[in-house]
Amino acid sequence: MSDTAAAGESRGAPAGHPDDVLRVRDLSTRFFTEEGQVNAVESVSFTVRDGEIFGIVGESGSGKSVTALSLIDLVDSPGRVTGGEVWYRDADLAEEFRDRLPDAVDGEFVDTRRLPKGVRRALRGPAFSMVFQDPMSSLNPSVTVGEQIAEAVEVQRRATANPRRTRSRTQGYGMGKLIADTLLPNRGFTSESSMNRAIELLEQVGIPDPAERAHEYPHQFSGGMLQRAMIAQALAGEPDVLIADEPTTALDVTIQAQILNLLRDLQEQAGTSVVMITHDLGVIARMCNRVGVMYAGQIVERGTLSDVFETPVHPYTQGLLGSIPDLDDPAPRLQPIEGNVPSLLDEEMGGRCFFADRCPKAMTDCLQPISEYDADPGSDEHTARCVLAEREFSEADALPPDHFDRNEEVRGDE
Amino acid sequence: MGYGRFLLKRGVQGVGVVWGVVTVVFVLRFITPGSPIDTVAPLDASQETRQRIAEELGLDQPLYVQYLDYLAELLQGNMGYSYISSIPASVQVFQKLPATLELAVAASLVAVALSIPLGVISATRRHEPADYAATSFSLLGISTPNFWLGIMLVLVFAVELNVFPTSGRAYGFGQTLAAITGPEPFFTVATAWLASLFLPAITLGTYFTALITRLVRSGMLDELSQGYVRATRAKGLPETLVRYKHVLRNTLVPVVTVLGLQLGTLIGGAVITEAVFAWPGLGTEIIRAINARDWPILQGSLIVIGCGFVLLNIAVDALYAYLDPRVVAE
Amino acid sequence: MKIGPISISPRTIRNLRKEFRSSGLARIGVVLVVLVLLAAVFAPLIAPHNPRTQTLDQAQLPPLGFTDTEQQTRSEMVNGSIETVTENVTVNATTTYPLGTNSLGQDMLSRAIYGARTSLLVGFFGTVLAALLGVTVGLTAGYYRGRVDDLLMRTADVSLAFPSLVLAIALIGLFSRFQADVAYRITDPLVSTGFAGWFRELVGLPTPMPETVVLPTVVILVVGFVNWVWFARIARGEALSIREEEYVKAARALGGSDARIVFRHVLPNAITPILVLATIQVAAIILLESALSFLGFSGTTLSWGFDIAQGRDYLSSSWWIATVPGLAIVLSVIGINLVGDWLRDALDPGIEGEGGL
Repeated sequence: MSDTAAAGESRGAPAGHPDDVLRVRDLSTRFFTEEGQVNAVESVSFTVRDGEIFGIVGESGSGKSVTALSLIDLVDSPGRVTGGEVWYRDADLAEEFRDRLPDAVDGEFVDTRRLPKGVRRALRGPAFSMVFQDPMSSLNPSVTVGEQIAEAVEVQRRATANPRRTRSRTQGYGMGKLIADTLLPNRGFTSESSMNRAIELLEQVGIPDPAERAHEYPHQFSGGMLQRAMIAQALAGEPDVLIADEPTTALDVTIQAQILNLLRDLQEQAGTSVVMITHDLGVIARMCNRVGVMYAGQIVERGTLSDVFETPVHPYTQGLLGSIPDLDDPAPRLQPIEGNVPSLLDEEMGGRCFFADRCPKAMTDCLQPISEYDADPGSDEHTARCVLAEREFSEADALPPDHFDRNEEVRGDE
Repeated sequence: MGYGRFLLKRGVQGVGVVWGVVTVVFVLRFITPGSPIDTVAPLDASQETRQRIAEELGLDQPLYVQYLDYLAELLQGNMGYSYISSIPASVQVFQKLPATLELAVAASLVAVALSIPLGVISATRRHEPADYAATSFSLLGISTPNFWLGIMLVLVFAVELNVFPTSGRAYGFGQTLAAITGPEPFFTVATAWLASLFLPAITLGTYFTALITRLVRSGMLDELSQGYVRATRAKGLPETLVRYKHVLRNTLVPVVTVLGLQLGTLIGGAVITEAVFAWPGLGTEIIRAINARDWPILQGSLIVIGCGFVLLNIAVDALYAYLDPRVVAE
Repeated sequence: MKIGPISISPRTIRNLRKEFRSSGLARIGVVLVVLVLLAAVFAPLIAPHNPRTQTLDQAQLPPLGFTDTEQQTRSEMVNGSIETVTENVTVNATTTYPLGTNSLGQDMLSRAIYGARTSLLVGFFGTVLAALLGVTVGLTAGYYRGRVDDLLMRTADVSLAFPSLVLAIALIGLFSRFQADVAYRITDPLVSTGFAGWFRELVGLPTPMPETVVLPTVVILVVGFVNWVWFARIARGEALSIREEEYVKAARALGGSDARIVFRHVLPNAITPILVLATIQVAAIILLESALSFLGFSGTTLSWGFDIAQGRDYLSSSWWIATVPGLAIVLSVIGINLVGDWLRDALDPGIEGEGGL
């Protein structure tokens, strides 16, 4: 259903499962750098359901973090979300914009990309929030941890206190008040009650002595504790969708498991949907209900965990799965995929399967743009951007092994 | 380490630097060729007269005795007497100090009030016309000698347009305050005071406006690229708070340090600004003292300026530690 | 590329090129600096007049494009009695003096060209002196740390407590008591070899140029001594971090002498921020020199600051006398600052805001 061909004629939200909270269609993000246009995210489509953990997995440089940032409109210059829709289910919001922006509303869904900038910003916190990879650099070093969490609580409170919530956020806090708050130490954006809530949240994420630790600065926390605080901050707005971008990569192995357990416990308690972004297939296998595999800015295969892990269709997914060491059978099964991740420079991409130059099963069919095919007639969830979903591999059509060496300049000098 | 201990440590270091300043001034007197007697004694003074003057000034004592005497006198606030007017140097220096402070404070106010908004606008609207205007202004500002700027301002606003006086200090801040209850009409006094202060304050303040604009701009660009900015936005904080509570505050930490180091430049700039506007402050007094070889006045001025620098830097450190708690922790 | 003990990596050169290509300001800066440098070096060849020659009947001529009204008073016989008549006379600019003349009828353009010599001489030698002093102190403090570091850096704090301009005029005031002449005269090689005369004959400017260049030695010594602190701070910071590098530890383990380690390993790796600071310091010292000569402490009359002081007395009648040398300062200092920004952006030594007037 979510063929790229459908994008042009589409009106309204894509069809999907009734439990969907998020439906993303053809999301594209470009970076306009001095070296040229970088297609970091290329026509990405997926859905996220109530209370599930959706995993996005890929190597570094595959565009998964940019996808996360694109969802909550935090792509910095020189990057820009250039196309696509992010349909988010929120009945109140849909009601508010049904008349003003009919294109942006479909049933209970709103396309956040079509909403005004201020409203998009206001969705951060109560609708979407994010846990970042490196907690140490993701918290302001000169503000106490409790204060930073209390800010997130306060944002949420001010938004819900006012029925016209989407606009109340940016108003009511101007320069004058800020200057007064800065000069008078006892005043602040945050109130005592939001600070108390911050302490509760710290307790909830398992930080001992939360009341004392709330008044400490990030440099006084260990990495694992700080990531817990970061999660507390992300939960402060009681978000519908929590995006976790490599939440354990910067941590020690022993701490990683604790953080993952914490995330899962919290997610089960609150029923929050989680988008889990990682390069670690182990994390995916352990945490996720459904998964999308990213390569060169595209989701090359997606489906339920068992679809993707047990019956992978795309040779890239197969290669990726082949590259994890098997604990039961530590024989040398580690087979890294040959070649490099493409540079994603627009001029070097060409209209073909981006994986074809590394693919052991590349065929002449792969030299044209590939759309998402239904990979499994039994399941309407499993799709792959690979011709092998439709046909068998045939030696007769295979590309000669040196096809790309002959036709393309070697660009492996960086 | 607590905040109090941190300040105490800085204070002790400050006393050390003050002692160094005082010692350097003492040493300067001795590398000065010629004897102070030559300056004080009449040209035709007899050997006995000279001997008597040497005894009076303590110049017949061994060097270390002179040094200890000098320190003891300083501790009692005695910095010697002007060779020219015989007024105690401390009295003369402290008489001239308020005018200089007034000028420096006015210039700093101008600089802070203009530069922080300029720097913030420049950084948040990077590569937009406002940024180009602010960066051009700041480049021009740090490249223009302030005495020449002062002369050009006089040329335009005093000579051609005749809206400000060319030089002099009409009233002091204290006199202006006194005029609220005094017999002179307050409005006239206040206007004259501000009018005479205006061009000197702009002259002295421009360099610092430009300097701080540059520092705030580059610091803020640096800070905006930090990971926490994105995370702070991700939790939905209004952009005003992201920019000012988080980013600007962190930007100001290094800016405050640099400004502490540049206080000397502010005082040096005040000296030459005073020369341009015939402003009756410490700078004019220093130049007069050098030309008249009135060493006690020069020494007194150097000591007062040095101690002022040390005190202000302790204040800056205190502010720094307040803005950035990590400083105290280290 | 290798210049003495300093080797410049290809990456550095690539960064410099890249920054130069992408930044219009860097190019403007280089052009300005080259122009000022050419003016300073070849002053005797290109100055249209001898900057010291007074032509009192040509005094206070305005620059090209401007006219000046001047009140002239003369005596006249009217009906048998002598009366003073005051009338307004329009003074036109002449191409002989494109930037006008000062109160002594000296050519402003030639003085501006010669002024570049003084500024650059003081700026260059003053910076070299400050760098030698400061880098020596800073490397020693940073390399030995501990007591040595404390002692040297407290000395630097004391030195910082005196504003450089105030310290400079105090020192010059003191120096001037035992050496009346605060400047040396050195013969101008372009003039003494006769090359300038021959060249000027050739281009049709047969004016004899000054035989000597004034080297304001005391000013150079003083500005160098006054500005060493900035170099000391930078060099110390670099030495502190470089001494922890593995290659320095290895050199120490191999028993290299301290001096050898500092010169072979520490200094070459600290050179980038020192060079960037030096560039900015040339600008700061030019400003300091102009302030000193404005106040009459420079030891030469061929200086932009001195000319501004002269022009100040004629502000209401001849605005250009103070304006022209001021513009010369601003343009040179902008040029140097732009080059400094270029180097800083390309090399990124992290020394924002160090150094000053």
